[in-house]
Amino acid sequence: MLGRVRRPLAAGLLALGVLFVAACSPPGEEQTGGGGENTGPIKIAIANAQSGQLSSLGAWELKGAKLAIDEWNAKGGINGRQIEIGVFDSQGDPTVGTNVARKIASEGFVAMLGTAESAVTIAMAPILQQAQIPNITSGQSPGLIAVKSPFLFLNGPTSLTYDETLAKHVVDQKGLKTIALITNNGSYGKGEHDSFTKALATRGVTPVADQVVTTDQKDFSAALTNIRQKNPQLIFVGAEEVQSGLIVKQARDLGIKAPFAGAAPQGTPVFLDTAGAANVEGTIVSTPYLSNEVDDASKTFAAAYKTATGEEAEMHGAKAYDGAQILLTALKNSNAAKGKELADAIRAVKHKGLLGDFAYDDTGVGIFATSIGTITSGKLVPAAG
Amino acid sequence: MRIRLGAIAALAVAAWLLPYQLNSYAMHVVNVMLLYAILSVGLGLCMGIAGQINLAQVAFFGVGAYATAVLTVKEGMGFWTAAVLALLATAAIGLVVGTPALRVQSHYLGIVTLGLALAFTNWVTNSTLAGGAEGIPGIPRPTLPGVDLSSDYLFYYVELALFAVTLVFGLFVVHTSLGRRMRAMRDDSLAAGAVGVEVPALRMTAFLLASVYGGVAGVLYSGLIGYVAPETFSIANMFLLLAMVIIGGRQSLVGCVIGAISLALVREVLIDYPTYAQVAYGTVVVLTVVFAPTGLAGLPVRLRGLLHRRTTATASSGLTPFRPYDPAGTTGEPDAPMLAVRDLSMHFRGVKALTEVSLEVPAGQIRGIVGPNGSGKTTLFNVVSGLYRPTAGRVVLDGRDVTAARPFALAHAGIARTFQNLRLFSALSVRDNVLVALDPTRASGTWRYLVLPVGVWRRDRALRREADALLDRFGLAAFADNLPTALPYGIQRRVEIARAMAARPRLLLLDEPAAGLNGDEVRQLCDIVRSIRDFGVTVVVIEHNMGMVMSLCDHVTVFAHGAIIADGPPAEVAISPEVIEAYLGESMAMPAPVASEVQG
Repeated sequence: MLGRVRRPLAAGLLALGVLFVAACSPPGEEQTGGGGENTGPIKIAIANAQSGQLSSLGAWELKGAKLAIDEWNAKGGINGRQIEIGVFDSQGDPTVGTNVARKIASEGFVAMLGTAESAVTIAMAPILQQAQIPNITSGQSPGLIAVKSPFLFLNGPTSLTYDETLAKHVVDQKGLKTIALITNNGSYGKGEHDSFTKALATRGVTPVADQVVTTDQKDFSAALTNIRQKNPQLIFVGAEEVQSGLIVKQARDLGIKAPFAGAAPQGTPVFLDTAGAANVEGTIVSTPYLSNEVDDASKTFAAAYKTATGEEAEMHGAKAYDGAQILLTALKNSNAAKGKELADAIRAVKHKGLLGDFAYDDTGVGIFATSIGTITSGKLVPAAG
Repeated sequence: MRIRLGAIAALAVAAWLLPYQLNSYAMHVVNVMLLYAILSVGLGLCMGIAGQINLAQVAFFGVGAYATAVLTVKEGMGFWTAAVLALLATAAIGLVVGTPALRVQSHYLGIVTLGLALAFTNWVTNSTLAGGAEGIPGIPRPTLPGVDLSSDYLFYYVELALFAVTLVFGLFVVHTSLGRRMRAMRDDSLAAGAVGVEVPALRMTAFLLASVYGGVAGVLYSGLIGYVAPETFSIANMFLLLAMVIIGGRQSLVGCVIGAISLALVREVLIDYPTYAQVAYGTVVVLTVVFAPTGLAGLPVRLRGLLHRRTTATASSGLTPFRPYDPAGTTGEPDAPMLAVRDLSMHFRGVKALTEVSLEVPAGQIRGIVGPNGSGKTTLFNVVSGLYRPTAGRVVLDGRDVTAARPFALAHAGIARTFQNLRLFSALSVRDNVLVALDPTRASGTWRYLVLPVGVWRRDRALRREADALLDRFGLAAFADNLPTALPYGIQRRVEIARAMAARPRLLLLDEPAAGLNGDEVRQLCDIVRSIRDFGVTVVVIEHNMGMVMSLCDHVTVFAHGAIIADGPPAEVAISPEVIEAYLGESMAMPAPVASEVQG
């Protein structure tokens, strides 16, 4: 029974298969040579988490990048060509990121902006490198540099820079030596913990307390009591906005008087509101983008951002805005080049942006300093000295 | 058969030719999809087939991927060596994660495994070995002589081959002894133990299988993506996997594959509409759970069920008469006790269900156990068959002390039982119900699945023939392919006796076998029990139907308040004043009416 059924069927299918395979083997995409159309719109992909836990980050990034592109389009685009945006959702998942990278490569995008998630960007990097698509990311992990892709650029300093600048300020300039650490064990907190400890170690400073909490912890009395016993001059916080706010609030309730220090999250309104304005007074913040009122450029940006989105501008939007400006400048300078030529053009761009002066080196980092600010009467102002 | 073979061949050819039709993006999506399909099959085996809630599948996936990454990037091993070691590591982790299943089940197990999965992501985020939050980039692509696996197109064939192997192996497991025992354990772990299924070992096997599937997918993942980071193994992805298995239909491995492919496709389609993605995605999950609880794979059956709703009700007409066993003659010494219970006590906190009960059942006897409700009869059965560990006393089976042995060990030693409230494996066919008990395969023989799959297959075919012969003897041949729940009560009772006899017991415990049977069925039951005894099996029967007890039993033991109040031949016991008092109360202690009731 089996034999009788199988034979004609198998023979037929085999014949069909041979027909197909003979037509084209082995499988693979025929190289189209990059399309070669130099007249239509220039396609730029914006990939970020548009859904999932990190979607607010993705939304800010999108608004910043879109603002820059809209401004260029309003001025007539690049050499008369409009810029077309394709928005992709990476869902904050590296695997989805690789799908998105393939999609971007197969749909003829010349460059990509994003993502804000370092791990997703690292997963995408080999594919984008292979497809020769330059990528300006908002991630800031040192791991991005370790990928060593000539097509990968950062639109801000690496996280090492934040903590290096902060350590320089508090240890070298203010002369504080007894410093306590409280960080969470999530990816952000862990990164902050490691790079700040490293920055302190190069200065011969060992933290007097090193408290690690979990990412969903809400009560920090045990960790903070321990810190209080050590009586530090400064407490470094490595946690996201809300958790940082809670830590500061509970520390003040426990009678801890020492000022706090931290990176970007500690400069946000969410942090300030959670902790209470009085409690955060004197917090030292290392951030590439202090506020919307630092200089004329940031005031203009903040106003345009407000008009376009109806929201107050913040750091992530500013970073993405800078990244988009750099990419568009490179496209203009290279006469809308693609691939390696465009990557070289990005590397050559000298841009005076919201975050500072960009000048790229071989690792893909364009900016090497952050600003130090202090929260004074509820506002983040540049620190003296 | 012909259609199925044709469909499989067509699918195989389509899968082989697929890369020729796809661009590099679609190819990559398909590659990722296949990984999820392998993961779902593993999860389906553990959750759908073995009934072990496993929310750590994504961690198994992660262990496989991370182990490959660490061994290749940090230790500089070759990809395939690393792959083998990674699989072993995942299997070891699988056994660790499975250990709680020995003590807790259902949602508690879910919580425990979820906790272990969270612990894994937490650990990799904070471990320097695993590269922390940045993960481990630069995992080399595997190499095969003559094939360039750096191309997604050719890597597809590696994945396809492994997918086919894992799926076929999974289906093989499901449709042979191991899978059958797992499904029995899922439907009713108590009854499974009572027919000889080694429940603890099988639970571990389920987790072992799930982890190996996770490991295979993890190894392929690290080869395909070349990078591992904690986010990939998040709880969100565990939910996605769970949704794949539930949408596809968890009791069918093919369903799991369909679920994985369709959800992966939905996810890919929605990438262009990020605003609606979450809502649409959630809607699909909710709709499936509400309108197709058995998943996509269960849809054809449900539709067929709707169409043929009337015809299934008439299935009871196929029952044929029981064909008696050939009498075995007198075996061994007739008066040696087959079962001896000595000073047995069973207390549940304050409740004394049995107090210092002693009784002996000689080989070849039909012993009746009677007594009012709550007198400790079923408790005695539960102690003898190993469900309860007695507070004090001993149980001796044919001269061997078996006190507090595990139920499956007692089943192997020759005790079989039925349950007061039927405990058939509801999602297994009548034949499979019998096969589970008939199957002498032990958990320690599972290695045969790797080394001798043909032998396993042959044994299974032989067992199937044996099962059909047994069903034929019990007149149940017409219902071999029915689910027991679809059958009339009387037939279910008979299936349970057939299942108990399939285990070839020396001692058969029947707990109220006549409950719910009509007069005709009770007479047939008596014939069956007598034939079983003549075949050489000692029978102990708990029964309330006094007429049946009087005519069937050689000897009757009467229980009241957890103690024996009378013991002797039926006629003697029936007129004992203690018995009458226990049954009817003090004021009614008059022998005459009881005697007439007994005769009727």
